[in-house]
Order: sequence, then C-alpha cells, then structure tokens
Amino acid sequence: MSDQGKVGVPLLEAVDLHKTYRMGSVDVPVLQGSSMKLDPGEWVAVLGASGSGKSTLLHLLGGLDTPDPKGGEVMYKGRTISTLTRGARNRYRNREVGLVFQFYHLLPELNVLENTLLPGLVGSGIRADRDRARELLSTFGLDHRLTHRPRELSGGERQRVAIARALLNKPEVLLADEPTGNLDEDTGSEILELLKKEHQAGLSIVMVTHDRAIAELADRVVVLHHGRVDQDQSLSIQ
Amino acid sequence: MYHFLLTSRYLTSRIIPLLAIAAVALCVALVIVVVSVMTGFLDMIKDSGRTLMGDVMISYPVSGIPWYDDLIEEVEAMPEVVAAAPMVETIGVLRMPYPRGAVKEPKMVQIWGVDPERFAKVTTFGETLMWPEVPESARYQVSHDEAYGPIIDTFDRTQRIAILRASDWEDTEGMSDSQVADMGSALTQPEWYEHMRHLMLDKGDTLPRILRDDQRLDMQKVIELEQAGRLPIDLDVLAEGLSMSRNGRPGIVAGIHVSDANYRDSNGEYQIGGNGHWWLPRYEGALTTIPVDATGGTLEPETVLMPFVNEFSSGVFAVDEIRVMIPLGTAQRMMHLDAAEIVDEFDPMKVVGVEPARATMILVRGQDDIDPLDLRELVRAAYQRFTDKMIETQPGSVSPPIEGINPSLRILTWEEQNAAFIGPVEKERALMRTLFSIVYVVCAALVLAIFWAIVYEKTRDIGILRSIGASRPGIVWIFLLYGLVVGIIGAVIGLGLGWLITANVNGIHDLLAQPPGWLAWSLAAVTVITLLWTFLKLFTGRILPVMLGLMISILLGLLTALVFILDAQGGVVIWDPAVYYFSEVPNSIDLPAAIITMIGAVIFSLVGAAIPAARAADVDPVKALRYE
Ligand SMILES: Nc1ncnc2c1ncn2[C@@H]1O[C@H](COP(=O)(O)OP(=O)(O)OP(=O)(O)O)[C@@H](O)[C@H]1O
Ligand SMILES: [Mg+2]
Repeated sequence: MSDQGKVGVPLLEAVDLHKTYRMGSVDVPVLQGSSMKLDPGEWVAVLGASGSGKSTLLHLLGGLDTPDPKGGEVMYKGRTISTLTRGARNRYRNREVGLVFQFYHLLPELNVLENTLLPGLVGSGIRADRDRARELLSTFGLDHRLTHRPRELSGGERQRVAIARALLNKPEVLLADEPTGNLDEDTGSEILELLKKEHQAGLSIVMVTHDRAIAELADRVVVLHHGRVDQDQSLSIQ
Repeated sequence: MYHFLLTSRYLTSRIIPLLAIAAVALCVALVIVVVSVMTGFLDMIKDSGRTLMGDVMISYPVSGIPWYDDLIEEVEAMPEVVAAAPMVETIGVLRMPYPRGAVKEPKMVQIWGVDPERFAKVTTFGETLMWPEVPESARYQVSHDEAYGPIIDTFDRTQRIAILRASDWEDTEGMSDSQVADMGSALTQPEWYEHMRHLMLDKGDTLPRILRDDQRLDMQKVIELEQAGRLPIDLDVLAEGLSMSRNGRPGIVAGIHVSDANYRDSNGEYQIGGNGHWWLPRYEGALTTIPVDATGGTLEPETVLMPFVNEFSSGVFAVDEIRVMIPLGTAQRMMHLDAAEIVDEFDPMKVVGVEPARATMILVRGQDDIDPLDLRELVRAAYQRFTDKMIETQPGSVSPPIEGINPSLRILTWEEQNAAFIGPVEKERALMRTLFSIVYVVCAALVLAIFWAIVYEKTRDIGILRSIGASRPGIVWIFLLYGLVVGIIGAVIGLGLGWLITANVNGIHDLLAQPPGWLAWSLAAVTVITLLWTFLKLFTGRILPVMLGLMISILLGLLTALVFILDAQGGVVIWDPAVYYFSEVPNSIDLPAAIITMIGAVIFSLVGAAIPAARAADVDPVKALRYE
C-alpha cells in the first residue's frame, strides 16, 4: 500500500457494493449496488436519510466490515481491501484511514493524550509519536486538557480528541460518520471548520451526514437512497 | 504497548478487577493455610520421632534383650550412629498427689525406664524438660516445703496421729489410732505442712505440746527465718530432671498432661492449678507395676515411692498425657529385669551364674544425613553380629532373641513403628490436596465470570480498538494479560494473607477459644457507627450506599453476636489437644506448596480469562460501534 496512487486511479473507490444483514431468517438488504469514488485530496459528503446505509457504507470503506460475497468491492489505491489478509486490513485501518464517529468513541479509562496516542501504540507496538499527538492536540486547542479523562470534556472537545486520534498516524483518508450529529450548531461548525483546515492541508475526507447544509461544505455530495447511490453530483464550492 | 497501558488502567480504575483479585487471593490463602497446617502436622509427627525415640529402635517387649550393653557397643561402633540408649517400657498405675485428703487419684501411665544421660543423647529429652527452675507461682510454697519438710519428716507415728486429731481436718473422734494413721499415710508432705500450719496459727499451744524439744527448736529457727522473709529456696530443678533424681533418690519426670492440674492458657503458656499449689515437683508419687516372670506369668505388684523431679513436654499430647520417665535401674528392678544371680535349684546359697539385666528397647540415633531406612539395615546387621557373638561367648547362658525366631523382636524406623498413625495422616494430606484442586476450578470460574462481565462492559472499547487497527490476537492479549496480572497480584496477596493466618494460627485459635471482651465491644461499636452512617446516608436519597451500609451492618452485627455468644459459652476449642496429637497448631508455612498454589492460581486465572478473551476477539466491531 506504500505505492503511490497512479494518475487517474481514485484514492478510495466503492464498486457496486452489496451488503445484506441477516435478522433471524430474514435477509435485510442494506446496500444494493452502491458505487462511489474519492479522488486524492477530495472531500466527498455522503448524504442520506436515516437507515439508508450511510454508516454501513463507511464501515465497508474503512475495512471494518466486508461486503457480501460477490457483492462488489472496495478499492484503495487500486487494490481490493476485502481480499487482503487480516493483518493487512488491520494495518489499513491503522495507517491509511482514520475513523471518526458521531459518539466520539473515546476510551473512558485513558486520558486525552493517551486516547490520541492509541493508534500509534496499536500500530508500532513499541514507540508512539508523542510529539505528533501533542502537536495535533495543541492545533485543536486542547493543550490544557492532555491529562483529562473524556468524561471531563464537552462534546466538542471530545470530538476534537477523536479527530486528533484519527489523524495521528497521518492517514490519507478521514472517514467521518456524522461527526457533528451529536453537537449543537455552533460546536458543530467549529468541528467542520477544523475538518476544512485539514482538508486544505491535503487530507481526503469521506463525511457521512443527513444534513444537506453540512453536506454542501464538501467538494462533492453523493446521495444514498435505499442502498443505492442515486446521484453523483459535483457541487461548486460555495 | 497498548496492552500494558489498558491492562493497568482497567485494573486501577475499576472495582470489578479488585473483586477478581480478592477472589484469587482468598482461594490462594485458603489453600496455603490448609496445606501448611497439614504439612506442618505431618512434619511435626515425623520430627517428633527424633524428639521422642530416635531414628531406629530394636524392641523386644516384656522379656527384654539381655546383654544389651554389648549390643549398644556394637551399634555405637558404627560411624553412622550418633548414640544408642537402653530402655524398658511397661505400664503401671501412678498415685497422684491430688485431691486433698486421704483418697488420691490413681492414673494409668506408661512407664519408660531410661538412663537419662544416654537417653538425652538419642532424643531431645533435655530440651523437653518443662521447668528449668521453680516457677514463679510455686516459689512461696516450695520455700516452705524445703524449710518445714525436713522437720515433718522427723515426725513419728504418735505425733502424726496427734496432729491429725488436733487439726479440724476430719472427724477423727470415732476412729482408732491405726485408722487415723492409715489416713495420714496417704497425705502428702505439703498437706502435713498445712495441718501443722493450721495448728500453729489457730491453736497456738497445741503444736508445741506435740513436738519434741529438738523439733521445737528447729521449728523456731524456721519460723524466725520465715518472719525475716529469708526462707532459702533452691530454684534449680533442671539438674534434678536431667538426672531423674533428688538428693540421690530416683525421681519421676512426668509428661506435662499427666497431672490434671496443668493447663494451657490462651497465651499458650502452661499454668499450674491452685496458683502453684499443685506444682507436681512439690510432691511424691507412688508408682506401681506388675512384673512378669520368665514363663510369662505375673508376679506380685511392685510399688516405689518417688519424688516428682520435673515434667516434660514433648508437644505430642498423646505422649504428654500418659508417659512418665524414671531411671532405668529403678524400672528394671520393678519389672524384675535387673541383673540377678542364678542359684542352684537345691542349694539356694550356691550361685551358679548371672542373669543379665535386660532392656525391652534399644533406641538408636543416626547421623543427620543418613536415611532412616539405611540406618535400620545397618542396625539389623549390627544386631546379627551381636547375637552371633553372644552365642559364642555366652554358651549355655540366656541367649538374645533372634529375628525370625522370636517374632516379637522388631527392628523398625520410627515411622514404621508409628505407621498406623502416620499413614492415615499422609493419606489425608493427599486427599486434601486433591480436594483443593477444586478450589482452583472455583478460582478459574470466578475469574471467568468476572472477566465475562468485564468483556461485556468493554465491548465498545474493543470495537474502538479494532477500528483503529488492533488485531484480534491483540485484543485476546489484553484480557490474557489482565488475567495474568490479576492472578499474580491475587496470588501474592493470597500468599501474604495465608502467611499471616498460618503464622498466627495459634493466636487466632486461642482468640476463638477465649475471645477477649474488648473484641466484642469494639465490634459492637463499629456496628453502631456503621448503622449511624447508613442512617445519615438515607438523607442523600441514594440507595446504593444505604444498601451497602445495611449489608455491612448486618454482617458486623452477626459477627458481634457470634463473639458475644462465644464469650458467653467460653469459646470454642477447635484444636483440642485431647483430640489432636499435638498441643499446638502447626504454624509454619509450607513454602513449596505455597509456590505451587500460587503458580496454580496464576495459571487458572489465565484459564478463566481465556474464554472471555476469546469472546472479546470475536466481538464484531461494527456492532460494537453502532450505538452509543
Ligand atoms: N447488524 C445489523 N443487523 C441487522 N440490520 C442492521 C445491522 N446493522 C444495520 N442494520 C440495518 O441496516 C440499515 C442501515 O443502517 P445504517 O446504520 O448504515 O444506516 P444509517 O444511514 O447510518 O442511519 P443513521 O442515519 O440512523 O445512522 C438500517 O435499517 C439498520 O437497521
Ligand atoms: Mg449511521
């Protein structure tokens, strides 16, 4: 995965993805042939109603889950993710992508700095990049919070820690699942501002949202409807 | 390494792992205490072989082995042998000095006739002697015994009758002189002193009229010394015990529990009944045994009156309550096992030979590094050489018993001699060990249940870790490491706890036997304080602290009630010396067993953690992350 993306090859691509969940004896088709792509340096918003399969799509993109057999594939820099070995998929999640969730998902027993360092600790196993973590946290205005536990932080602060964690290993892509879904409007726009800055610095982003206004911050909006990508429209940056 | 970070954080910021640690610690402590006490018990039994009898013994009961000095010479000639000692053993009746009055209590005893010096080389006899000097509580009485005793000894029959008639001791009016004298003959010297004292204090003119001039003079001197507070006292009784004699007279060294007046207080110290009054070496005891003749028939009983010179405590209750030791020569005479001249059948004045003295047992002590079984074979060979020599040098005379021909001749190690007792204890320990393997399973089950709950609680964390690239083995490792740490900490705390309990087991036992008053009251106070605290917590509106407080109060209350009940009933004696072989609970930790237990606990903690860890690895990160 260290090879550079060739010109014209998308950074991340979903090709005709199918994902079916089984509930007891009933098959629940969630994704029914969704395709989308993300070019290097691009910010794509995935817009859809609740239950349309946005999170499912993001999990597949992040290598947390695999599509149905013969249910399409996820390509990262031209390589299929779902056929990688477990170890390679772990490394993919650890180094190539960063995940951010609606509910922050920080580890309650670890403090801010430790939470941020976690991908470093998991990845290298030995040395974690403390300087990188401090630098990230200070750009996100959390200098004074390093030794605090997540429960001592506000929602916005928690989400900033989560983003810092996602960015620690300098991933190519940030996958954000409704990063502002649990925040008030002001705090939400602070977070979006922060994402915007990272995007301008070269980060590629896939952001899931059900809020059209937020989606329009992205370079491009993809609309997910009943498990299918209905439109693939490019919006001009406003 | 995020495993260490997470393991340490999970450990320090939650209560559940503390429960797991406590569970492991309790299991480990339990096993350590039980196994240590059992092992200590076995060790004590095995050690007591040396203390009591040496390593190997040659025994030929009742008839005894003749020419035993030659045998001992043969045995002691071997470099593997430290010493050998002859002994005669029989049973008899000992007349105790109690209670007061003419009717004294007889007691069944096992008589060991030993040569104290040689016996002390084979056993630890010298160390088991109870009284290095006269105990504090008996000094007052002993000084009076020593001062007045020689005067009392000079009283003749008439004087004694007069003293008894004058004292208000019994209704002697209707009795004849010989009846009074008979009663008097049963009294101990300290009792005579008491009667005399009574006359001196309450009937000032009676005693002087009874005493002869010389006695009156001696008495005057003693009274003056007493009034000046300068009654002499010879405190040294150790020498008398070691030599089993007092002033040249053979004496008795009795086991500490032979006298019912001795008891052990809750500090584990021996106390003497009557506040020193019944200290045995103040008295004399009449020892009676029935000798047996060459045909196996019984002869007239033999009785010897001997002073008690000391007492011994071997630590083995079964021995201490029944055994008395007297000098070998005295015992041989009593049992007719002493050397005797053989006279002509028709002319009793003509001596035709010598019947050698006999010993019913030869005790052998080996060097420290020799195995008792090897020693036994060496002794057996020496015995063979001895019999060969005797048949050669003493033809026609009595010959020693021969192995194979005389079945009651036995050459055994101490363990073999006591196999009937040691065997079951050893089996019991093996059984205990097996039973306690179940404790490990309980331990593993507890860890499993607790870790199952932890994994359940940590499902979301597992999802998060997986989402940032943690592998499944990585997740397994977190919980295994967690189990390992819980196991190790639990095992170490368990060792400490086990050691603490084992080392203080006698104190705990005595506390149960006689709970001090302050314990009950302080427990009651703590209970009341807890109840008050609970009551105050009622106003905070939270239920958990109230519930906890209530639980603890109830527990404490029950404990307090238990202690009060124990107090009222005079406590429970679990390790009753009458039931157990030893008078003290073994209190040293069995370190090898403790280490095995600890390793077992760690392994089983890991086993218990393994299943929840596997479950953790199987957590679907997508499901774990989906909701808050
Ligand atoms: N493990 C599962 N088993 C069964 N059904 C599932 C499972 N996970 C998701 N689903 C269903 O799949 C559908 C899509 O879920 P998904 O979370 O991807 O939607 P979403 O667009 O992210 O919705 P929201 O905006 O509410 O987060 C939903 O109907 C959901 O109930
Ligand atoms: Mg969703």
